[in-house]
Amino acid sequence: MDNRTAVIAAGAVTTMAAEAAHRTKIRVRDLHFHYHGFHALKGIGMDIPERQVTAIIGPSGCGKSTLLRVFNRIYAIYPGLEARGEILVDGVNVLDPAYSVNLLRSKVGMVFQKPVPFPMTIFENVAYGIRHHEKLSRADLAGRVEQALRSAALWDEVKDKLKQSALGLSGGQQQRLCIARAIALKPEVLLLDEPTSALDPIATGRVEQLIDELKRDYTIVIVTHNMQQAARVSDCTAFMYLGELVEFGATATLFTKPTKRQTEDYISGRFG
Amino acid sequence: MSSIPATIDTLDTGRRSRLDARHDRIFRGVLRFCALLVLAALLGAALSTLWGGREILFGQGLHFLTSTAWNPVEDDYGALAPVFGTLVTSLVAIVLAVPVSFGVAMFLTEIAPNWLRAPASTAVELLAAIPSIIYGMWGLFVFVPFMARIEPALTDTLGRIPLLGKLFQGPPLGLGLLTAGIVLAVMILPFITSVMREVFLTVPTRLKESAYALGSTRWEVLWDIVLPYTRSAVIGGIILGLGRALGETMAVTFVLGNSYNITSSLLMPGTSISSSIANEFNEAVGLHRSALVALGFLLFVVTFIVLLIARLMLRQLARREGR
Repeated sequence: MDNRTAVIAAGAVTTMAAEAAHRTKIRVRDLHFHYHGFHALKGIGMDIPERQVTAIIGPSGCGKSTLLRVFNRIYAIYPGLEARGEILVDGVNVLDPAYSVNLLRSKVGMVFQKPVPFPMTIFENVAYGIRHHEKLSRADLAGRVEQALRSAALWDEVKDKLKQSALGLSGGQQQRLCIARAIALKPEVLLLDEPTSALDPIATGRVEQLIDELKRDYTIVIVTHNMQQAARVSDCTAFMYLGELVEFGATATLFTKPTKRQTEDYISGRFG
Repeated sequence: MSSIPATIDTLDTGRRSRLDARHDRIFRGVLRFCALLVLAALLGAALSTLWGGREILFGQGLHFLTSTAWNPVEDDYGALAPVFGTLVTSLVAIVLAVPVSFGVAMFLTEIAPNWLRAPASTAVELLAAIPSIIYGMWGLFVFVPFMARIEPALTDTLGRIPLLGKLFQGPPLGLGLLTAGIVLAVMILPFITSVMREVFLTVPTRLKESAYALGSTRWEVLWDIVLPYTRSAVIGGIILGLGRALGETMAVTFVLGNSYNITSSLLMPGTSISSSIANEFNEAVGLHRSALVALGFLLFVVTFIVLLIARLMLRQLARREGR
């Protein structure tokens, strides 16, 4: 079953990739994940195309967030969690313990479910990550911060209050600030873990629009339990169930002509 | 049938409101009384030390505050040496204890494997339960001889640094400001550590994860995120430790040397406010007694000033953050 899924998934990607002529950015091979004896990911294999939005959907507990958290090895800050298999970003296995996590995380940015600005000024929130990875002059740093805030469609709203605490922003603004903070590092990949689940519909719409703009420069992987959102923003969709990748392919195909029974049941709302 | 319960209801509502209002009033009164009790105790202690020390404070106030003399035979008293000793030993204690506490708290919350966290935390808390007389005896019988042995080495190494070296010169007595400061540091370490550990645990996981996700190292996450987030509580913990260091009597009395000295060297013996009082109160009469009680009042003043400075520091930091 594991292998068959992987083969079918890989096959789907190959055809899709050939159609859209998108290079594979992240290649996942036979990925297993265990925590405290629980087998959370069972042999995941998928090819994530470059500069496209890939959505991961599935019912709660299917392992979609776990999978996302393996991409930047954020799971490794807790003891007792173990990932086996390969995740090749541009052909380099980032799960190799010799590969620096700090470097990996500057290449693969992440935005979380709830907006979490640091208890600092707006400017410092965006400058924070840059300072850790690059030595920039004051002017260059200010330039990078402005650029990041512009890319996150937040500049016009905050340009007059950069020195104020970020905690004073609205929820939607805070989440765009978190996106600005992540893209300020100029990552190649952006991981979004249910980025709009704590936002109201208007703020959600803005973030979705932003995702659409960002895919010109970044490879985006988004976990969402909102199927409409997956259909709206993504180019490819992966459906996961009980730790396995059930189906992976072009979003239009997966939502209209799913090849698996489970996928069909899920997207038609029969479970999940 | 429905009208009967309604009348009972209205009757009940009136009674219920009166009862609730009374409960509320009593509860508020009790709370206010508790809070006022603390204030009354503080004010009482301050005023009674002020009253006890009136003879010397109002008789020769300025001389008492600025003189370094302490001569019971000629009835000449100055508070400067004990105040100096109190401040210096507490400062040494804080300088040594804060980084170590930070390290211990950091280890216990972020790095230690799960099975070690609970026992190690309990061990730290047990350290706080050791009575100060035990620290004093350990200090005198174990630590002072040890310090006497390593002090020449300190003088030879740290003592050679220009300016800073002045702190580490003098005869290797073992007793002295540095030894007292180190013993104090060990004593206040568990207080500061427990407070830091507790508040580090309150930092939301997602805040830390966000920082890790930007490629920060553990140290950077702690220093840039955890510490600023918990800053006021951490400073509160340090103040708690400092308060204890300023007022600690027994342990300090054993290892400080009890001589009325103001020196530039930490290796020299000195005295502190509380150890002067403890040492001399039994035999003190007349002006001598008044001087000791006045010292007690000065301890209030010193502690108050230290707290004030801490508050101002916090406000300054908050302003820099844009709040």
